[in-house]
Amino acid sequence: MIGGRRPLKGRKLADRRVRIERPHAAYFRWSGPGQLTAKESASRPTTPLGRLWARVKAAVIGRPLASEDEIGERLSKKKALAIFSSDAISSSAYATEEILRVLILGGAAALVLGLQVSIAIAVLLIAVAISYRQVCLAYPTGGGSYSVSKRNFGRGASLVAASALLIDYVMTVAVSTSSAVEQITSAVPALIDERVLIGVAAIALITIGNLRGIREAGNIFAVPTYLFLGSALLMIGIGVYRIVILGEHGAYDPNQLIRQTGETAEGVGLLLLVRAFAAGAVALTGTEAIATGVPAFKPPEARNAATTLAIMAALLGTLFIGITFVAVNFGITHLELPEQQTVISQVARRTYGDGTIPFFLFQSFTAVLLFLAANTSFNAFPRLLAILAKDGFMPRQFALRGDRLAFSYGIIVLATVAAGLVILFRGETHLLIPLYAVGVFIDFTISQAGMIRHWLRERTPGWRRRLTINTFGCVLTAIVAVVVTTAKAPQSLLVLLLIPCLVGLMRFIHRQYDAQAEELRVRDDTVIAGPHREQRVVVPINGINRAVVQALNFARTVSGDVRAVFVTDDEAEGEELRARWERQFPGLPLVIVESPYRAVVSPVVAYLDVLDQAWPPDKEAPITIVVLPEYVARHWWDRVLYNQTARRMKAALVGREHTVIADVPYRRSH
Amino acid sequence: MPNPEQTVVFRRAVVALNGGSSDARIVRLAAGVARQWKAELVAVHVVEIDWTQPLDADIAGRSEDVQRVLDLAEETAEDCQYKIEPVLLQARDVGAALVDEATEQRADMLILGLPYRKRFGGDFAIGSTIPYVLKNAPCAVWVVREPIPEESA
Repeated sequence: MIGGRRPLKGRKLADRRVRIERPHAAYFRWSGPGQLTAKESASRPTTPLGRLWARVKAAVIGRPLASEDEIGERLSKKKALAIFSSDAISSSAYATEEILRVLILGGAAALVLGLQVSIAIAVLLIAVAISYRQVCLAYPTGGGSYSVSKRNFGRGASLVAASALLIDYVMTVAVSTSSAVEQITSAVPALIDERVLIGVAAIALITIGNLRGIREAGNIFAVPTYLFLGSALLMIGIGVYRIVILGEHGAYDPNQLIRQTGETAEGVGLLLLVRAFAAGAVALTGTEAIATGVPAFKPPEARNAATTLAIMAALLGTLFIGITFVAVNFGITHLELPEQQTVISQVARRTYGDGTIPFFLFQSFTAVLLFLAANTSFNAFPRLLAILAKDGFMPRQFALRGDRLAFSYGIIVLATVAAGLVILFRGETHLLIPLYAVGVFIDFTISQAGMIRHWLRERTPGWRRRLTINTFGCVLTAIVAVVVTTAKAPQSLLVLLLIPCLVGLMRFIHRQYDAQAEELRVRDDTVIAGPHREQRVVVPINGINRAVVQALNFARTVSGDVRAVFVTDDEAEGEELRARWERQFPGLPLVIVESPYRAVVSPVVAYLDVLDQAWPPDKEAPITIVVLPEYVARHWWDRVLYNQTARRMKAALVGREHTVIADVPYRRSH
Repeated sequence: MPNPEQTVVFRRAVVALNGGSSDARIVRLAAGVARQWKAELVAVHVVEIDWTQPLDADIAGRSEDVQRVLDLAEETAEDCQYKIEPVLLQARDVGAALVDEATEQRADMLILGLPYRKRFGGDFAIGSTIPYVLKNAPCAVWVVREPIPEESA
């Protein structure tokens, strides 16, 4: 019997068999020649504290998923529409109001131009959507504008696009959360003092939802998006029916007003129109998110992303024009007094009826959707960071997927920065708005310009038509970028200041990674020879005990040049140790360092310096291995009692040239 | 609940693996049927040890290829969202070891694969294991013949 394997009896004497242990099977699986794949059990924490943390994490964000489950985490078009479009679709809730707020400055008659302005914005939306559809198909690895500009303009422009987008994603979370909280505090004024807390709690909830993985986030967040979509389309349908078929109009009809007063809409200045156009163009924010997250889609990723983008643009355009049409024809504009009423709430009141259940349901769907607008950023921001990290422009951790295959670091950074902004600006939307939607138009412009270059280079069939669309879109988005930045100045200039700062940071990170890679680079045409440098071992000891004996035994297996160092401020103690040492470790050098100033760590470091200086200058410096005996505490709470000097020693030696630190732990056998 | 009259019924089955192309097929098949009855599956791979070596020689435990047979079976079962318990044996005779293991495991079904060998113009070599198992197994035996590849049919 070998290895304790007891033969099992068979039906006949010769039919014995032996069961073979498979110790690897609990943790690994052989997946190919010389290739092991770790099972979930191999990734489980081994310490009680680690296990507790893993249980808490599993309860909050779910059990870890294997990388091979990534394909199952991909989004269907239906879920992706909810995940990536909540930002764009939610903007239909306020974009009409933004236009009417500007137009009212030109008099009531100017409101009639709201529909024309919204149609013009819808045309811009079509141009931008077509452009990003092309981006999805031409750059299926994701990254959106960053990838387009990297390919067509190089590093500088791509980093500007990425920075502008990153800033805008953070602002989207802060603004949409604050704005949704405002909806709640408008309904329940008693909560007004808790708005920061509510905002931060909402961000925390969305963060947890996203840390649970993109598919689960889709399950959580899809329902409110579709409820809003359904009820908003129904509202528009009822409104259009009443206006077109029943011939209803508002308390004042802008067209009638023009006829009665002789006031003309043409009197509205071009500048006002441009400002109204720029104000309404916030509806376009979030259009780029799908192009950034193409790899999140189920295969065929690019085709599905492009289709989803087209559906999103069609829905957004319909909602936006529909709401504006109903609002203009019912003569609705925002009201501040007697109580603040948004345009969309008035449209809902008019179509569903004041105080009816459908009205309240629609209002609550709108509030929830405004919260969820932040969710788009939670999907796009971490993906963009991951792409930047892969390219070496952001710390590599951002490219790592968490337990649930989400880019956890990016999600946490976004949540932290956005929550910080909500706290800093006390959850007041109007303080955050000037910083919002500035970056995204810079990004649109760079992306469209990139696509112009793309078509000029590729000249694939139909390139002239596409080139025209992108040129048209590029000019319009550039105008909007300038107008939005000017209209929101001076606060918007902060974004313009932040973009170069972020670009500088990313370039700095890239330089650091490049320098490190160059430093660590090994030529692939050389054969690596065995070690040729001499090694010596220094073992700092605190006396003679089992831990020290074990460390010395290990040291003697590493090198023939071993010496123990004992630091003491007591001469008698030193002499006593030496006597015992010579008896118990004959032939093994012991250096006793007397330390009248009672320091322990510094004299050892100084001794190592002396050893280095004593080394012949014509010989290559040896590797000094400092072997530290350590006693392993049995409980987490008694760790503080042991190894404090060893810890300080390690801290003092980390990074020291030609020095390796080796811990030799001594564990009690029972 | 499927009709027991019309389907294969077992509570505990031993799935014999030989490291060949039919392994994945029979594991998938066994997992599919076992799921209906919440039956237990035991994957058994027997390494034959000739008489020149002791029965408990350190052979199967050290071989990656041998371990991989059971690891692949486990992985295939997991892909089918089912659990299979792997057992690795060393024995002088594969058929006898399978029968004895099935007896000890109290299995009511023993599933074996019959691979199609392409060498020498293609053939189903039934060998000595299947006849032995058919003759001696105390439980039902299910031999799954591999389909003949189209180009050979």
